[in-house]
Amino acid sequence: MKWNNVFCLTCIFLCATHSIEKLSAAEDVFEKANTLFADGYYFEAAIEYERIIFLSESPEVRVQSNLKKAESLKQLGSFGRARSDLQRSLNYRGNDSLRLEVLYQFAFCSFMAGFSFEAYATLLHLRNVFKEPHEHRIYLLESLVLTDLMHWEDLRNHLQNWMVNYAENESWTQKTLQAYDDILDKGLRALEIDPERAGILSTFLPGSGQFYAGEAGWGILNAFSQLASLAAFGVMVYNGYYIASFFAGLGPFQSFYFGGIRQAGDLATKNKNSRLNELQTALAQFFFEVEAGLLDY
Amino acid sequence: MKYCIALIVLLLVFSFFPVQAALRLDGQDQELRTELDFILHLITREDYDASLYLLERIGDAGRDWSDSLNFLSGWVMYRQKNLELSANKLLKVGKESPVFYKSHFFGAYNLAHIGQHQEAQKVLYNIPVASGSMHEALRCLQLSGLALLQNDLDEYFKYSMSFVGEHHVMVEQERNMESHRRRLEEARTPSPLVAGMLSAAVPGLGRIYAGKTSEGIISFLYVAALGFTSYDFYRGGGAKSPMFIISAGVTGLFYAGNIAGSAVAVRRKNQEFRYEMEQRILFDMHIPLRNAFN
Repeated sequence: MKWNNVFCLTCIFLCATHSIEKLSAAEDVFEKANTLFADGYYFEAAIEYERIIFLSESPEVRVQSNLKKAESLKQLGSFGRARSDLQRSLNYRGNDSLRLEVLYQFAFCSFMAGFSFEAYATLLHLRNVFKEPHEHRIYLLESLVLTDLMHWEDLRNHLQNWMVNYAENESWTQKTLQAYDDILDKGLRALEIDPERAGILSTFLPGSGQFYAGEAGWGILNAFSQLASLAAFGVMVYNGYYIASFFAGLGPFQSFYFGGIRQAGDLATKNKNSRLNELQTALAQFFFEVEAGLLDY
Repeated sequence: MKYCIALIVLLLVFSFFPVQAALRLDGQDQELRTELDFILHLITREDYDASLYLLERIGDAGRDWSDSLNFLSGWVMYRQKNLELSANKLLKVGKESPVFYKSHFFGAYNLAHIGQHQEAQKVLYNIPVASGSMHEALRCLQLSGLALLQNDLDEYFKYSMSFVGEHHVMVEQERNMESHRRRLEEARTPSPLVAGMLSAAVPGLGRIYAGKTSEGIISFLYVAALGFTSYDFYRGGGAKSPMFIISAGVTGLFYAGNIAGSAVAVRRKNQEFRYEMEQRILFDMHIPLRNAFN
Protein backbone atom coordinates (compact mmCIF):
# COMPACT_ATOMS: atom_id res chain seq x y z
CA MET A 1 0.00 0.00 0.00
CA LYS A 2 2.84 2.29 0.87
CA TRP A 3 4.58 1.69 -2.48
CA ASN A 4 1.27 2.16 -4.20
CA ASN A 5 0.87 5.63 -2.71
CA VAL A 6 4.45 6.62 -3.49
CA PHE A 7 4.01 5.46 -7.09
CA CYS A 8 0.78 7.41 -7.55
CA LEU A 9 2.15 10.60 -6.00
CA THR A 10 5.32 10.39 -8.09
CA CYS A 11 3.23 9.94 -11.23
CA ILE A 12 1.10 12.96 -10.37
CA PHE A 13 4.20 15.05 -9.60
CA LEU A 14 6.00 14.14 -12.82
CA CYS A 15 2.97 14.60 -15.04
CA ALA A 16 2.08 17.92 -13.41
CA THR A 17 5.58 19.38 -13.77
CA HIS A 18 5.81 18.13 -17.37
CA SER A 19 2.41 19.62 -18.26
CA ILE A 20 3.25 22.97 -16.64
CA GLU A 21 6.46 23.05 -18.64
CA LYS A 22 4.55 22.44 -21.88
CA LEU A 23 1.88 25.00 -21.01
CA SER A 24 4.36 27.75 -20.26
CA ALA A 25 6.21 26.88 -23.47
CA ALA A 26 3.00 27.42 -25.44
CA GLU A 27 2.44 30.78 -23.76
CA ASP A 28 6.02 31.81 -24.39
CA VAL A 29 5.90 30.96 -28.06
CA PHE A 30 4.86 34.51 -29.02
CA GLU A 31 6.95 36.30 -26.42
CA LYS A 32 9.96 37.18 -28.56
CA ALA A 33 7.89 38.22 -31.58
CA ASN A 34 5.46 40.21 -29.43
CA THR A 35 8.33 42.07 -27.77
CA LEU A 36 9.80 42.97 -31.16
CA PHE A 37 6.39 44.15 -32.33
CA ALA A 38 5.86 46.20 -29.18
CA ASP A 39 9.29 47.82 -29.63
CA GLY A 40 8.42 48.81 -33.19
CA TYR A 41 10.67 46.26 -34.94
CA TYR A 42 7.91 45.17 -37.30
CA PHE A 43 10.11 43.56 -39.96
CA GLU A 44 11.90 41.40 -37.37
CA ALA A 45 8.59 40.66 -35.64
CA ALA A 46 7.11 39.47 -38.94
CA ILE A 47 10.04 37.04 -39.34
CA GLU A 48 9.57 35.68 -35.83
CA TYR A 49 5.85 35.18 -36.38
CA GLU A 50 6.64 33.35 -39.62
CA ARG A 51 9.08 31.18 -37.66
CA ILE A 52 6.26 30.21 -35.29
CA ILE A 53 4.10 29.28 -38.30
CA PHE A 54 6.99 27.20 -39.63
CA LEU A 55 7.72 25.41 -36.37
CA SER A 56 4.32 25.03 -34.76
CA GLU A 57 2.22 21.96 -35.31
CA SER A 58 -0.92 23.48 -33.87
CA PRO A 59 -3.21 24.93 -36.57
CA GLU A 60 -4.59 27.39 -34.05
CA VAL A 61 -1.15 28.74 -33.12
CA ARG A 62 -0.26 28.98 -36.81
CA VAL A 63 -3.39 31.02 -37.55
CA GLN A 64 -2.80 33.26 -34.53
CA SER A 65 0.76 33.81 -35.62
CA ASN A 66 -0.32 34.50 -39.19
CA LEU A 67 -2.72 37.17 -37.94
CA LYS A 68 0.01 38.75 -35.84
CA LYS A 69 2.37 38.64 -38.81
CA ALA A 70 -0.28 40.38 -40.91
CA GLU A 71 -0.44 43.06 -38.21
CA SER A 72 3.33 43.60 -38.47
CA LEU A 73 3.17 43.76 -42.27
CA LYS A 74 0.32 46.24 -42.05
CA GLN A 75 2.53 48.45 -39.89
CA LEU A 76 5.14 48.25 -42.66
CA GLY A 77 2.50 49.16 -45.25
CA SER A 78 2.91 45.79 -47.01
CA PHE A 79 -0.79 45.07 -47.45
CA GLY A 80 -0.27 42.92 -50.54
CA ARG A 81 2.19 40.68 -48.71
CA ALA A 82 -0.11 40.48 -45.66
CA ARG A 83 -2.96 39.52 -47.96
CA SER A 84 -1.03 36.71 -49.65
CA ASP A 85 0.14 35.43 -46.24
CA LEU A 86 -3.39 35.44 -44.84
CA GLN A 87 -4.54 33.42 -47.82
CA ARG A 88 -2.86 30.44 -46.13
CA SER A 89 -5.29 30.62 -43.23
CA LEU A 90 -8.50 30.99 -45.23
CA ASN A 91 -9.21 27.26 -45.00
CA TYR A 92 -8.97 27.24 -41.21
CA ARG A 93 -12.13 25.71 -39.74
CA GLY A 94 -11.40 25.82 -36.00
CA ASN A 95 -12.15 28.52 -33.50
CA ASP A 96 -14.95 30.78 -34.80
CA SER A 97 -13.52 34.05 -33.51
CA LEU A 98 -10.16 33.29 -35.15
CA ARG A 99 -11.88 32.38 -38.40
CA LEU A 100 -13.86 35.62 -38.37
CA GLU A 101 -10.65 37.56 -37.69
CA VAL A 102 -8.88 35.85 -40.60
CA LEU A 103 -11.72 36.64 -43.00
CA TYR A 104 -11.94 40.24 -41.80
CA GLN A 105 -8.19 40.83 -41.99
CA PHE A 106 -8.04 39.21 -45.42
CA ALA A 107 -10.84 41.48 -46.65
CA PHE A 108 -9.14 44.51 -45.08
CA CYS A 109 -5.74 43.77 -46.61
CA SER A 110 -7.34 43.00 -49.98
CA PHE A 111 -9.10 46.36 -49.89
CA MET A 112 -5.93 48.21 -48.90
CA ALA A 113 -3.93 46.39 -51.59
CA GLY A 114 -6.45 47.52 -54.22
CA PHE A 115 -8.37 44.23 -54.61
CA SER A 116 -11.79 45.64 -53.80
CA PHE A 117 -13.76 42.93 -55.61
CA GLU A 118 -11.96 40.26 -53.63
CA ALA A 119 -12.53 42.20 -50.40
CA TYR A 120 -16.24 42.41 -51.18
CA ALA A 121 -16.46 38.69 -51.99
CA THR A 122 -14.69 37.89 -48.69
CA LEU A 123 -17.08 40.11 -46.74
CA LEU A 124 -20.07 38.40 -48.39
CA HIS A 125 -18.53 35.06 -47.45
CA LEU A 126 -18.01 36.31 -43.90
CA ARG A 127 -21.67 37.35 -43.68
CA ASN A 128 -22.71 33.99 -45.04
CA VAL A 129 -20.65 32.05 -42.48
CA PHE A 130 -21.36 34.27 -39.48
CA LYS A 131 -24.96 35.25 -40.03
CA GLU A 132 -24.92 38.49 -38.03
CA PRO A 133 -21.34 39.53 -37.29
CA HIS A 134 -22.39 42.71 -35.49
CA GLU A 135 -19.12 44.56 -35.54
CA HIS A 136 -18.72 48.19 -36.48
CA ARG A 137 -15.40 47.57 -38.20
CA ILE A 138 -17.01 45.02 -40.55
CA TYR A 139 -19.82 47.44 -41.41
CA LEU A 140 -17.28 50.21 -41.93
CA LEU A 141 -15.03 48.10 -44.14
CA GLU A 142 -17.97 46.98 -46.26
CA SER A 143 -19.05 50.62 -46.64
CA LEU A 144 -15.59 51.60 -47.83
CA VAL A 145 -15.40 48.64 -50.22
CA LEU A 146 -18.83 49.42 -51.69
CA THR A 147 -17.81 53.08 -52.04
CA ASP A 148 -14.71 52.01 -53.93
CA LEU A 149 -16.80 49.74 -56.16
CA MET A 150 -19.39 52.52 -56.68
CA HIS A 151 -22.32 50.25 -55.73
CA TRP A 152 -24.40 53.22 -54.57
CA GLU A 153 -27.71 51.39 -54.10
CA ASP A 154 -26.11 48.51 -52.17
CA LEU A 155 -24.25 51.09 -50.12
CA ARG A 156 -27.50 52.80 -49.09
CA ASN A 157 -29.08 49.46 -48.11
CA HIS A 158 -25.96 48.56 -46.20
CA LEU A 159 -25.98 51.86 -44.33
CA GLN A 160 -29.65 51.41 -43.49
CA ASN A 161 -28.96 47.92 -42.18
CA TRP A 162 -26.06 49.21 -40.09
CA MET A 163 -28.16 52.00 -38.59
CA VAL A 164 -31.14 49.73 -37.92
CA ASN A 165 -28.92 47.28 -36.06
CA TYR A 166 -27.30 49.93 -33.87
CA ALA A 167 -29.30 53.12 -33.67
CA GLU A 168 -32.66 52.54 -32.11
CA ASN A 169 -33.52 56.17 -32.69
CA GLU A 170 -35.53 56.20 -35.94
CA SER A 171 -35.07 59.91 -36.59
CA TRP A 172 -31.29 59.58 -36.35
CA THR A 173 -31.38 56.75 -38.91
CA GLN A 174 -33.44 58.90 -41.26
CA LYS A 175 -31.13 61.87 -40.74
CA THR A 176 -28.06 59.79 -41.52
CA LEU A 177 -29.64 58.30 -44.63
CA GLN A 178 -30.63 61.79 -45.73
CA ALA A 179 -27.07 63.01 -45.24
CA TYR A 180 -25.82 60.09 -47.36
CA ASP A 181 -28.35 60.90 -50.10
CA ASP A 182 -27.29 64.55 -50.07
CA ILE A 183 -23.58 63.75 -50.44
CA LEU A 184 -24.31 61.23 -53.17
CA ASP A 185 -26.69 63.53 -55.10
CA LYS A 186 -24.20 66.37 -55.01
CA GLY A 187 -21.36 64.09 -56.06
CA LEU A 188 -23.29 62.39 -58.85
CA ARG A 189 -24.38 65.75 -60.23
CA ALA A 190 -20.74 66.79 -60.38
CA LEU A 191 -20.00 63.54 -62.19
CA GLU A 192 -22.46 64.31 -64.98
CA ILE A 193 -19.62 65.37 -67.20
CA ASP A 194 -19.37 63.57 -70.52
CA PRO A 195 -16.03 63.51 -72.35
CA GLU A 196 -17.79 62.84 -75.64
CA ARG A 197 -20.00 65.87 -75.16
CA ALA A 198 -16.95 68.02 -74.37
CA GLY A 199 -15.43 66.93 -77.69
CA ILE A 200 -18.62 67.73 -79.61
CA LEU A 201 -18.85 71.18 -78.01
CA SER A 202 -15.27 71.96 -79.02
CA THR A 203 -16.02 70.78 -82.55
CA PHE A 204 -18.67 73.46 -83.01
CA LEU A 205 -17.40 76.20 -80.71
CA PRO A 206 -13.62 76.20 -80.09
CA GLY A 207 -12.75 76.27 -76.39
CA SER A 208 -16.31 75.57 -75.19
CA GLY A 209 -15.54 71.87 -74.51
CA GLN A 210 -12.75 72.94 -72.15
CA PHE A 211 -15.15 75.35 -70.41
CA TYR A 212 -17.68 72.50 -70.04
CA ALA A 213 -14.93 70.29 -68.58
CA GLY A 214 -14.28 73.00 -65.98
CA GLU A 215 -10.99 74.25 -67.43
CA ALA A 216 -11.75 77.82 -68.51
CA GLY A 217 -8.05 78.75 -68.87
CA TRP A 218 -7.39 76.01 -71.40
CA GLY A 219 -10.61 76.96 -73.21
CA ILE A 220 -9.53 80.61 -73.64
CA LEU A 221 -6.01 79.60 -74.72
CA ASN A 222 -7.28 77.12 -77.30
CA ALA A 223 -9.87 79.52 -78.73
CA PHE A 224 -7.26 82.31 -78.94
CA SER A 225 -4.72 80.00 -80.68
CA GLN A 226 -7.29 79.02 -83.29
CA LEU A 227 -8.29 82.63 -83.87
CA ALA A 228 -4.65 83.77 -84.14
CA SER A 229 -3.76 81.07 -86.65
CA LEU A 230 -6.87 81.89 -88.70
CA ALA A 231 -5.95 85.58 -88.59
CA ALA A 232 -2.42 84.77 -89.77
CA PHE A 233 -3.94 82.75 -92.60
CA GLY A 234 -6.15 85.68 -93.60
CA VAL A 235 -3.32 88.24 -93.48
CA MET A 236 -1.05 86.03 -95.58
CA VAL A 237 -3.76 85.41 -98.19
CA TYR A 238 -4.48 89.14 -98.29
CA ASN A 239 -0.78 89.82 -98.97
CA GLY A 240 -0.61 87.18 -101.68
CA TYR A 241 1.39 84.56 -99.76
CA TYR A 242 -0.85 81.69 -100.77
CA ILE A 243 1.53 78.79 -100.19
CA ALA A 244 2.76 80.24 -96.90
CA SER A 245 -0.82 80.85 -95.76
CA PHE A 246 -1.60 77.19 -96.36
CA PHE A 247 1.37 75.82 -94.36
CA ALA A 248 1.93 78.57 -91.76
CA GLY A 249 -1.75 79.53 -91.28
CA LEU A 250 -3.99 76.57 -91.96
CA GLY A 251 -1.39 74.04 -90.72
CA PRO A 252 -1.27 75.37 -87.16
CA PHE A 253 -5.03 76.04 -87.25
CA GLN A 254 -5.90 72.41 -87.93
CA SER A 255 -3.47 71.34 -85.18
CA PHE A 256 -5.14 73.68 -82.68
CA TYR A 257 -8.63 72.74 -83.85
CA PHE A 258 -8.31 68.94 -83.73
CA GLY A 259 -5.96 69.12 -80.74
CA GLY A 260 -8.58 71.25 -78.94
CA ILE A 261 -11.29 68.65 -79.55
CA ARG A 262 -9.07 65.88 -78.19
CA GLN A 263 -7.94 68.01 -75.26
CA ALA A 264 -11.53 68.83 -74.27
CA GLY A 265 -12.34 65.10 -74.06
CA ASP A 266 -9.16 64.36 -72.09
CA LEU A 267 -9.79 67.19 -69.63
CA ALA A 268 -13.38 66.04 -69.12
CA THR A 269 -12.17 62.48 -68.37
CA LYS A 270 -9.50 63.76 -65.98
CA ASN A 271 -11.90 66.04 -64.12
CA LYS A 272 -14.56 63.35 -63.95
CA ASN A 273 -12.05 60.98 -62.32
CA SER A 274 -10.91 63.62 -59.86
CA ARG A 275 -14.54 64.43 -58.93
CA LEU A 276 -15.22 60.74 -58.45
CA ASN A 277 -12.23 60.63 -56.10
CA GLU A 278 -13.62 63.59 -54.21
CA LEU A 279 -17.01 61.90 -53.88
CA GLN A 280 -15.42 58.66 -52.64
CA THR A 281 -13.30 60.58 -50.13
CA ALA A 282 -16.35 62.50 -48.89
CA LEU A 283 -18.31 59.26 -48.48
CA ALA A 284 -15.41 57.55 -46.69
CA GLN A 285 -15.19 60.54 -44.33
CA PHE A 286 -18.95 60.32 -43.79
CA PHE A 287 -18.78 56.61 -42.91
CA PHE A 288 -15.98 57.21 -40.42
CA GLU A 289 -18.18 59.85 -38.80
CA VAL A 290 -21.14 57.44 -38.76
CA GLU A 291 -19.00 54.81 -37.05
CA ALA A 292 -17.74 57.34 -34.49
CA GLY A 293 -21.33 58.44 -33.82
CA LEU A 294 -22.55 54.87 -33.41
CA LEU A 295 -19.67 54.02 -31.09
CA ASP A 296 -20.56 57.01 -28.91
CA TYR A 297 -24.19 55.95 -29.02
CA MET B 1 8.85 -4.68 -5.49
CA LYS B 2 7.01 -4.46 -8.77
CA TYR B 3 6.04 -0.87 -7.86
CA CYS B 4 9.67 -0.12 -7.21
CA ILE B 5 10.66 -1.36 -10.68
CA ALA B 6 7.81 0.57 -12.30
CA LEU B 7 8.92 3.70 -10.47
CA ILE B 8 12.48 3.33 -11.66
CA VAL B 9 11.26 2.82 -15.25
CA LEU B 10 9.04 5.87 -14.95
CA LEU B 11 11.85 8.02 -13.61
CA LEU B 12 14.08 6.82 -16.42
CA VAL B 13 11.46 7.69 -19.04
CA PHE B 14 10.89 11.19 -17.69
CA SER B 15 14.54 11.83 -17.11
CA PHE B 16 14.99 11.09 -20.83
CA PHE B 17 13.15 14.32 -21.78
CA PRO B 18 15.66 16.77 -20.25
CA VAL B 19 18.53 14.68 -21.62
CA GLN B 20 17.00 14.84 -25.09
CA ALA B 21 16.46 18.58 -24.74
CA ALA B 22 20.00 19.06 -23.57
CA LEU B 23 21.29 17.13 -26.55
CA ARG B 24 19.18 19.24 -28.85
CA LEU B 25 20.40 22.47 -27.35
CA ASP B 26 23.94 21.24 -27.29
CA GLY B 27 24.17 20.79 -31.04
CA GLN B 28 24.83 24.24 -32.49
CA ASP B 29 24.86 22.56 -35.88
CA GLN B 30 21.34 21.38 -35.34
CA GLU B 31 20.28 24.93 -34.51
CA LEU B 32 21.90 26.24 -37.67
CA ARG B 33 20.33 23.46 -39.70
CA THR B 34 16.91 24.42 -38.37
CA GLU B 35 17.62 28.07 -39.18
CA LEU B 36 18.62 27.14 -42.73
CA ASP B 37 15.45 25.06 -43.07
CA PHE B 38 13.49 28.12 -42.01
CA ILE B 39 15.37 30.29 -44.50
CA LEU B 40 14.57 27.77 -47.24
CA HIS B 41 10.94 27.97 -46.19
CA LEU B 42 11.11 31.78 -46.55
CA ILE B 43 12.74 31.47 -49.97
CA THR B 44 9.96 29.12 -51.08
CA ARG B 45 7.48 31.78 -49.97
CA GLU B 46 9.46 34.35 -51.98
CA ASP B 47 10.16 36.34 -48.83
CA TYR B 48 13.62 37.31 -50.03
CA ASP B 49 14.21 40.32 -47.79
CA ALA B 50 13.58 38.25 -44.67
CA SER B 51 15.78 35.39 -45.98
CA LEU B 52 18.65 37.74 -46.67
CA TYR B 53 18.26 39.42 -43.30
CA LEU B 54 18.53 36.06 -41.51
CA LEU B 55 21.47 34.96 -43.66
CA GLU B 56 23.32 38.17 -42.85
CA ARG B 57 22.50 37.71 -39.17
CA ILE B 58 24.07 34.25 -39.20
CA GLY B 59 27.23 35.83 -40.59
CA ASP B 60 30.30 33.62 -40.42
CA ALA B 61 29.37 30.18 -39.15
CA GLY B 62 32.62 28.44 -39.96
CA ARG B 63 34.01 26.63 -42.97
CA ASP B 64 31.52 23.76 -42.76
CA TRP B 65 28.63 26.07 -43.40
CA SER B 66 30.16 28.71 -45.65
CA ASP B 67 29.18 26.95 -48.90
CA SER B 68 25.56 26.60 -47.87
CA LEU B 69 25.39 30.19 -46.65
CA ASN B 70 27.08 31.58 -49.77
CA PHE B 71 24.85 29.53 -52.03
CA LEU B 72 21.66 30.61 -50.28
CA SER B 73 22.70 34.27 -50.18
CA GLY B 74 23.65 34.16 -53.86
CA TRP B 75 20.44 32.40 -54.78
CA VAL B 76 18.27 34.92 -52.93
CA MET B 77 20.13 37.80 -54.59
CA TYR B 78 19.69 36.11 -57.97
CA ARG B 79 15.92 35.89 -57.33
CA GLN B 80 15.99 39.57 -56.37
CA LYS B 81 17.80 40.30 -59.65
CA ASN B 82 20.77 41.69 -57.76
CA LEU B 83 23.05 39.87 -60.17
CA GLU B 84 26.45 41.34 -59.37
CA LEU B 85 26.25 40.56 -55.66
CA SER B 86 24.66 37.22 -56.46
CA ALA B 87 27.58 36.22 -58.71
CA ASN B 88 30.00 37.29 -56.00
CA LYS B 89 28.36 34.97 -53.46
CA LEU B 90 27.69 32.04 -55.80
CA LEU B 91 31.26 31.94 -57.04
CA LYS B 92 32.52 31.52 -53.48
CA VAL B 93 30.92 28.07 -53.25
CA GLY B 94 33.65 25.43 -53.06
CA LYS B 95 34.20 22.42 -55.34
CA GLU B 96 33.24 19.93 -52.62
CA SER B 97 29.77 21.38 -52.29
CA PRO B 98 26.89 19.48 -53.93
CA VAL B 99 25.66 22.80 -55.31
CA PHE B 100 29.03 23.72 -56.84
CA TYR B 101 27.94 23.29 -60.47
CA LYS B 102 24.67 25.09 -59.99
CA SER B 103 26.40 27.96 -58.19
CA HIS B 104 29.14 28.42 -60.74
CA PHE B 105 26.98 28.07 -63.82
CA PHE B 106 24.48 30.58 -62.41
CA GLY B 107 27.34 32.82 -61.23
CA ALA B 108 28.74 32.89 -64.77
CA TYR B 109 25.30 33.57 -66.18
CA ASN B 110 24.83 36.49 -63.77
CA LEU B 111 28.15 37.96 -64.91
CA ALA B 112 27.12 37.54 -68.54
CA HIS B 113 23.83 39.28 -67.82
CA ILE B 114 25.53 42.35 -66.33
CA GLY B 115 27.91 42.57 -69.29
CA GLN B 116 31.04 41.10 -67.65
CA HIS B 117 31.57 38.65 -70.50
CA GLN B 118 35.30 38.04 -69.98
CA GLU B 119 34.83 37.22 -66.29
CA ALA B 120 31.96 34.91 -67.13
CA GLN B 121 34.17 33.10 -69.65
CA LYS B 122 36.91 32.67 -67.05
CA VAL B 123 34.46 31.18 -64.57
CA LEU B 124 33.15 28.73 -67.16
CA TYR B 125 36.67 27.65 -68.19
CA ASN B 126 37.45 26.89 -64.55
CA ILE B 127 34.48 24.57 -64.04
CA PRO B 128 35.88 21.03 -64.10
CA VAL B 129 33.68 18.92 -66.37
CA ALA B 130 33.90 15.30 -67.44
CA SER B 131 34.16 14.65 -71.15
CA GLY B 132 30.79 13.80 -72.71
CA SER B 133 28.87 14.89 -69.62
CA MET B 134 25.84 17.16 -69.54
CA HIS B 135 27.94 19.74 -67.70
CA GLU B 136 30.35 19.85 -70.62
CA ALA B 137 27.52 20.38 -73.11
CA LEU B 138 26.08 23.05 -70.86
CA ARG B 139 29.42 24.81 -70.66
CA CYS B 140 29.71 24.76 -74.46
CA LEU B 141 26.28 26.28 -74.81
CA GLN B 142 27.06 29.03 -72.28
CA LEU B 143 30.40 29.80 -73.95
CA SER B 144 28.79 29.91 -77.38
CA GLY B 145 26.19 32.31 -76.00
CA LEU B 146 28.94 34.49 -74.56
CA ALA B 147 30.73 34.48 -77.92
CA LEU B 148 27.55 35.68 -79.63
CA LEU B 149 27.09 38.38 -76.98
CA GLN B 150 30.59 39.59 -77.86
CA ASN B 151 29.84 39.25 -81.59
CA ASP B 152 32.81 36.88 -81.89
CA LEU B 153 31.60 34.41 -84.50
CA ASP B 154 34.92 32.50 -84.77
CA GLU B 155 34.78 31.78 -81.06
CA TYR B 156 31.13 30.78 -81.48
CA PHE B 157 31.96 28.20 -84.16
CA LYS B 158 34.59 26.73 -81.86
CA TYR B 159 31.92 25.84 -79.31
CA SER B 160 28.96 25.20 -81.59
CA MET B 161 30.94 22.29 -83.10
CA SER B 162 30.28 20.54 -79.79
CA PHE B 163 26.48 20.93 -79.96
CA VAL B 164 25.41 17.34 -79.82
CA GLY B 165 21.65 17.60 -79.43
CA GLU B 166 21.71 14.77 -76.94
CA HIS B 167 20.65 16.54 -73.78
CA HIS B 168 16.96 17.29 -73.72
CA VAL B 169 17.49 20.24 -71.35
CA MET B 170 19.22 22.22 -74.08
CA VAL B 171 18.36 20.73 -77.48
CA GLU B 172 16.06 23.59 -78.38
CA GLN B 173 18.47 26.23 -77.10
CA GLU B 174 21.31 24.78 -79.20
CA ARG B 175 19.09 25.23 -82.25
CA ASN B 176 18.14 28.73 -81.13
CA MET B 177 21.81 29.74 -80.74
CA GLU B 178 22.38 28.71 -84.32
CA SER B 179 19.46 30.84 -85.45
CA HIS B 180 20.76 33.81 -83.41
CA ARG B 181 24.12 33.40 -85.06
CA ARG B 182 22.46 33.48 -88.51
CA ARG B 183 20.47 36.60 -87.61
CA LEU B 184 23.58 38.36 -86.36
CA GLU B 185 25.49 37.39 -89.47
CA GLU B 186 22.75 38.41 -91.87
CA ALA B 187 21.76 41.56 -90.03
CA ARG B 188 22.49 44.75 -91.96
CA THR B 189 23.80 47.35 -89.55
CA PRO B 190 22.97 50.72 -91.05
CA SER B 191 25.53 53.48 -90.67
CA PRO B 192 24.61 56.77 -88.94
CA LEU B 193 26.87 58.64 -91.39
CA VAL B 194 25.09 57.23 -94.46
CA ALA B 195 21.72 58.02 -92.84
CA GLY B 196 22.80 61.63 -92.24
CA MET B 197 24.02 62.00 -95.82
CA LEU B 198 20.81 60.53 -97.21
CA SER B 199 18.75 62.97 -95.15
CA ALA B 200 20.91 65.85 -96.36
CA ALA B 201 20.14 64.83 -99.95
CA VAL B 202 16.42 64.14 -99.43
CA PRO B 203 14.95 65.03 -96.05
CA GLY B 204 13.55 61.94 -94.32
CA LEU B 205 15.39 59.45 -96.53
CA GLY B 206 17.87 58.66 -93.74
CA ARG B 207 15.04 57.61 -91.45
CA ILE B 208 13.56 55.41 -94.17
CA TYR B 209 17.05 53.86 -94.54
CA ALA B 210 16.98 53.25 -90.75
CA GLY B 211 13.73 51.33 -91.22
CA LYS B 212 11.48 54.06 -89.79
CA THR B 213 9.43 54.71 -92.92
CA SER B 214 6.52 56.65 -91.43
CA GLU B 215 8.90 58.94 -89.50
CA GLY B 216 10.80 59.53 -92.76
CA ILE B 217 7.68 60.51 -94.70
CA ILE B 218 6.51 62.87 -91.93
CA SER B 219 9.96 64.51 -91.75
CA PHE B 220 9.96 65.00 -95.48
CA LEU B 221 6.52 66.62 -95.43
CA TYR B 222 7.51 68.99 -92.60
CA VAL B 223 10.70 70.17 -94.27
CA ALA B 224 8.99 70.43 -97.67
CA ALA B 225 6.13 72.50 -96.21
CA LEU B 226 8.59 74.84 -94.50
CA GLY B 227 10.65 75.08 -97.68
CA PHE B 228 7.59 76.01 -99.75
CA THR B 229 6.60 78.60 -97.15
CA SER B 230 10.06 80.17 -97.30
CA TYR B 231 9.94 80.18 -101.07
CA ASP B 232 6.57 81.94 -100.97
CA PHE B 233 7.94 84.65 -98.68
CA TYR B 234 11.03 84.99 -100.88
CA ARG B 235 8.87 85.29 -103.99
CA GLY B 236 6.68 87.98 -102.42
CA GLY B 237 9.16 90.02 -100.34
CA GLY B 238 12.63 89.17 -101.59
CA ALA B 239 15.66 87.81 -99.76
CA LYS B 240 15.71 90.70 -97.26
CA SER B 241 12.11 90.33 -96.21
CA PRO B 242 11.90 89.60 -92.44
CA MET B 243 9.27 86.93 -93.03
CA PHE B 244 11.59 85.14 -95.44
CA ILE B 245 14.53 85.37 -93.01
CA ILE B 246 12.46 83.96 -90.13
CA SER B 247 10.91 81.29 -92.31
CA ALA B 248 14.24 80.29 -93.88
CA GLY B 249 15.82 80.15 -90.44
CA VAL B 250 13.11 77.81 -89.18
CA THR B 251 13.41 75.68 -92.34
CA GLY B 252 17.19 75.48 -91.91
CA LEU B 253 16.77 74.40 -88.29
CA PHE B 254 14.32 71.68 -89.25
CA TYR B 255 16.56 70.56 -92.12
CA ALA B 256 19.66 70.30 -89.92
CA GLY B 257 17.64 68.70 -87.13
CA ASN B 258 16.36 66.12 -89.57
CA ILE B 259 19.91 65.17 -90.59
CA ALA B 260 20.98 64.77 -86.97
CA GLY B 261 17.71 62.97 -86.18
CA SER B 262 18.36 60.45 -88.96
CA ALA B 263 21.79 59.60 -87.56
CA VAL B 264 20.28 59.22 -84.08
CA ALA B 265 17.47 57.07 -85.49
CA VAL B 266 20.02 54.71 -87.05
CA ARG B 267 21.99 54.47 -83.81
CA ARG B 268 18.75 53.82 -81.91
CA LYS B 269 17.72 51.16 -84.41
CA ASN B 270 21.11 49.44 -84.05
CA GLN B 271 20.86 49.58 -80.28
CA GLU B 272 17.32 48.16 -80.37
CA PHE B 273 18.47 45.27 -82.54
CA ARG B 274 21.50 44.61 -80.37
CA TYR B 275 19.39 44.73 -77.20
CA GLU B 276 16.81 42.37 -78.67
CA MET B 277 19.50 39.89 -79.69
CA GLU B 278 21.20 40.10 -76.30
CA GLN B 279 17.92 39.36 -74.55
CA ARG B 280 17.24 36.39 -76.82
CA ILE B 281 20.74 34.97 -76.33
CA LEU B 282 20.63 35.46 -72.56
CA PHE B 283 17.22 33.83 -72.47
CA ASP B 284 18.54 30.79 -74.29
CA MET B 285 21.52 30.65 -71.95
CA HIS B 286 19.22 30.84 -68.94
CA ILE B 287 16.60 28.23 -69.80
CA PRO B 288 18.99 25.22 -69.87
CA LEU B 289 20.35 26.25 -66.46
CA ARG B 290 16.84 26.28 -65.03
CA ASN B 291 16.07 22.97 -66.70
CA ALA B 292 19.28 21.30 -65.60
CA PHE B 293 19.48 22.45 -62.00
CA ASN B 294 15.92 23.11 -60.79
